[in-house]
Amino acid sequence: MTGDDRWYEAAFVVGITNALNVVADGLGGAPMRQVEPETAPAEVRTIFADIRAFYGTGGPAADVLGGEIPMPFGLVAHDPGYLADVWAAVRRAFSERRLTRRHKEALAFAVSLTTRSAFGTAFHLAELRRLGVGERGVMEVVGVTQMFSSYTKIADTLQLASDMADIAPPDASGVPNPGAG
Amino acid sequence: MPTVRLRDASEYPESARRLFELSRQWFDYDFKEPPAMSRVMAWDPHFGGPHGRAMKRAMAPGEFSRGEKEMVAAAVSGVNACTY
Repeated sequence: MTGDDRWYEAAFVVGITNALNVVADGLGGAPMRQVEPETAPAEVRTIFADIRAFYGTGGPAADVLGGEIPMPFGLVAHDPGYLADVWAAVRRAFSERRLTRRHKEALAFAVSLTTRSAFGTAFHLAELRRLGVGERGVMEVVGVTQMFSSYTKIADTLQLASDMADIAPPDASGVPNPGAG
Repeated sequence: MPTVRLRDASEYPESARRLFELSRQWFDYDFKEPPAMSRVMAWDPHFGGPHGRAMKRAMAPGEFSRGEKEMVAAAVSGVNACTY
């Protein structure tokens, strides 16, 4: 996992996953209705169609969450321009580039589990399975998440300083061309 | 500043120093002293032993590679706001 580009990709997945989870977990139980595909304006329906295509027909949005559109998108769709930008960022973050999509879903699942996001944990678990990850693979991510949730708290309790910081070689590659995929 | 005084490897018994060698092999890196977490875990082998085995089992290549898992571990540590 050398090369800074992979770490940028991972960081963007972690960040936008948390952003979706904050809205879904925070507003999911609040009296704020989601925009329904049937009654949405045309520009929102176009984005919803892209979301459905990205997650697959009959994917976790429908099977796990009881709706066609994942909750955080339905909730922010009251502002179509905002939805468009959020979705573009999510799509970009989760698209397969240097990291595979299944690896990105593993990251999102681990982050959701760590932050106790009920929405994110269920959603990304379903996505992992949809992408072909078996129970063994899911258990691997659960194990890594659990063990490093232990190590981090032991380290914090004892206020240990990192001794790994100088191991990674510096990345000499430049800033990538954003249009190069 | 650590809450405890981390002992040098030489202060640990021979059985713990064998664990430090396994730790060096795991990280494939020659630390001047074993990593702080290895020395913490060696303080109580009855805790550190099974904890370390569970970690190695979880991190072993399977459906995901060791590298992919290291990145998941880094993300979990980041979300836990742990700089270690």
